[in-house]
Amino acid sequence: MIKIKEKSIQWREGMTVADLLKDLDDPQHYAVVKINDKYISRPDFKKTMIPDNSEIFLIPMIAGG
Amino acid sequence: MAEYENLRELKTISYKRPTIKKGYANQFLCIDISDLDISFKQVTEEIKSTFVGGKGFDLWLLWNAVKKTTKWNDPENAICIASGPMGGTPTFPGSGKSIVATISPTTESVMDSNVGGYFGPYLKFSGFDALEIKGKSSKDVLIFIDGIDQKIQIFEAVELSEESYDLSAILTEQFGKGKPRNISVVSTGPGAKHTLIGCLNFTWYDSKRKRVRYKQAGRGGIGSVFADKGIKAIVARWDDVTLSSNNPADVDLIKDVGKKYSREIVELDPKQNEMSRIGTTHLVTIMNDYDLLPTKNFQYGRHPEAANVGAEVYRRIFDKGYDGCWMGCTVACAHGVKDFVPLTGPYKGKKVFVDGPEYETIAGCGSNIGIFDPFTVVEINFYCDAYGLDTISVGTSIAFVMECFERGLINESNTEGMDLSFGNRMNALELLHQMAGGEGFGTIVGQGIRKMKTIFARDYGADADILRDIGMESKGLEFSEYMTKESLAQQGGYGLALKGPQHDEAWLIFLDMVHNFMPTFEQKAEALHWFPMLRTWFGLCGLCKLPWNDIVPEDNKDTPEPAKVMKHVQWYTDYFSAVTGKQKAPDDLIHMSETVYNFQRIFNLKMGFGRREHDTIPYRAVGPVTVVEYESRQDRYDKQLAEKHKIDIAGKGTDEKLKLLRKFREEQYEKLKDAVYKRRGWTNDGIPTINTVKRLNIDFPEVLEVLKENGIQ
Repeated sequence: MIKIKEKSIQWREGMTVADLLKDLDDPQHYAVVKINDKYISRPDFKKTMIPDNSEIFLIPMIAGG
Repeated sequence: MAEYENLRELKTISYKRPTIKKGYANQFLCIDISDLDISFKQVTEEIKSTFVGGKGFDLWLLWNAVKKTTKWNDPENAICIASGPMGGTPTFPGSGKSIVATISPTTESVMDSNVGGYFGPYLKFSGFDALEIKGKSSKDVLIFIDGIDQKIQIFEAVELSEESYDLSAILTEQFGKGKPRNISVVSTGPGAKHTLIGCLNFTWYDSKRKRVRYKQAGRGGIGSVFADKGIKAIVARWDDVTLSSNNPADVDLIKDVGKKYSREIVELDPKQNEMSRIGTTHLVTIMNDYDLLPTKNFQYGRHPEAANVGAEVYRRIFDKGYDGCWMGCTVACAHGVKDFVPLTGPYKGKKVFVDGPEYETIAGCGSNIGIFDPFTVVEINFYCDAYGLDTISVGTSIAFVMECFERGLINESNTEGMDLSFGNRMNALELLHQMAGGEGFGTIVGQGIRKMKTIFARDYGADADILRDIGMESKGLEFSEYMTKESLAQQGGYGLALKGPQHDEAWLIFLDMVHNFMPTFEQKAEALHWFPMLRTWFGLCGLCKLPWNDIVPEDNKDTPEPAKVMKHVQWYTDYFSAVTGKQKAPDDLIHMSETVYNFQRIFNLKMGFGRREHDTIPYRAVGPVTVVEYESRQDRYDKQLAEKHKIDIAGKGTDEKLKLLRKFREEQYEKLKDAVYKRRGWTNDGIPTINTVKRLNIDFPEVLEVLKENGIQ
């Protein structure tokens, strides 16, 4: 299982960040997600596998500066 | 026996501290150190309604202090420091900012810089909405503003430590009388004296660690003006601060909004950017992933070793504990490194506490100069602070020098034998020590990029055209650390900023480049109106902008304009109304800023700047200067030429494509200027129109006179 937004979601072998966002069907254009303590940016969403038992945070990356 | 060690009393006056009313002390403190004159000026309702506070008050004082011919090192140039009506509200996140303004040695026009620490609030609670210091002293002087005992003192400083690091600790102990938390010190160091890119260090006392901590008003050489005037330090002393200290109109509303805001940050910051744990260091790898991390003088946007200076490393290096630069702020992003032992310089081998690094310092003094060792970045950070040097201008200036060295525009005969190739960390540190001592090649680097370009071309025979393209300054100010080549909106965010290319006015890279929220010129212009105005407003009120959009509500994404984070804007509106008693709506915040913003643009005009030609940026900020840069992003650039500009690129070499791309991109930047000037109510030459100044009620005779002199009637 992986945890996101206080909810638990079934983890599957080979699941990428891009897969997760597609499953969530969330219209927000997230630029960054955090898997446990690690920041992953959109250019890497398709190639980044999510480990089982991860905690995921979706970062609304609009700030900076 | 003298009351204070190393200080000889020159003048003391007593005063009666006014009651703070709805966020205002209603008077300014004006000191001329040439003749030790100390006076007070009343703050009228008209001044408050027009300029609000903070930067607005600074600009009004400075405007009246200087003539159009005033240079940065003339006695009549003033250093102005102010909080704002909300400044000093404990537990409301980010309510401790001070804003500093002066005529800059590098831009020769108006400079402003904001900074954390306790000084601004302590100044206000001592009875002064703003401090203006004019004049020059042949002796080192120290100004003591004692709000508790209600006296102002000027001392001659004799043989006090040169470095800010030791100086602030000594003064905090001496003036604190056993209560160091009651003290905030403004000081600089030897680097400010020997360069034009000096910063000011503002302190607060970290009771848990039992040490003095620092934040910097870094930009534009304000520290160099301070040193040139002969000011050693300014010390403010104040007692406990409570929610009632500002005597707000509605303390219950402040409690309510402040509590909601603080709770939201505590809940969401760990899920979002973790500012309270890693500060702004999270940006390093994210910028790198998006090809936006300035690398080797803004040539490239990424480097394989970037993670070595990223959040995962600093997470382990930063000392754990509460790091708020304002009392009770839950963003608490001012992290530091404990027991750091420098490898070089006067503190070599000694344990020191380093305040920082933040993202800007990591990018400027790390990736942008080809250094990916986290501890070298910490050492550069430490010495910049101790010497009183701006880490951004130091980083961007060294990056420029290193590229010039690698391109053969300068050589070892110019650098006095130093190899200044990218990544040469020991020589980067040596250069920093030279800047502080006013020695060797460091004296030239410390003049900043604009002056270096002249020196390199005139004295070393370097190609002036290349220097113009790769010297990352605009208006005389070095760029802060974001790549703008692929974001036209952020090119405007830097190029159209009033004081020069600092990101505090607008940070639109992600909205523009990553999310493509503003595809048209009109949309970019709208963003380059609204965002600079809102960001300006924080500086009028004594507030930090970070809580506004670095932590956002979970339902923000479902709002019509998520980038504006309107729930927070409403909270800030309520906060302003609750302190001042003036009922406002969110749009009123924009109007308040527009007034001050346009006044500052006209102030630039008064000083001989503030026209379209002064909003020019180097081509490195717009597109690839060299073949290698083009080829590093060839797919992107080829696609743009073919699809956006309908160019048949078949058979064309990189040189030709480079020229074509440059032509298109430079045209786009000029079109952006047209759109932004129109949106801001300015002429096509970038000057506010008569209608604009009338609408904003800044049609004072002296403003109209400046406009008239520039052909606007």
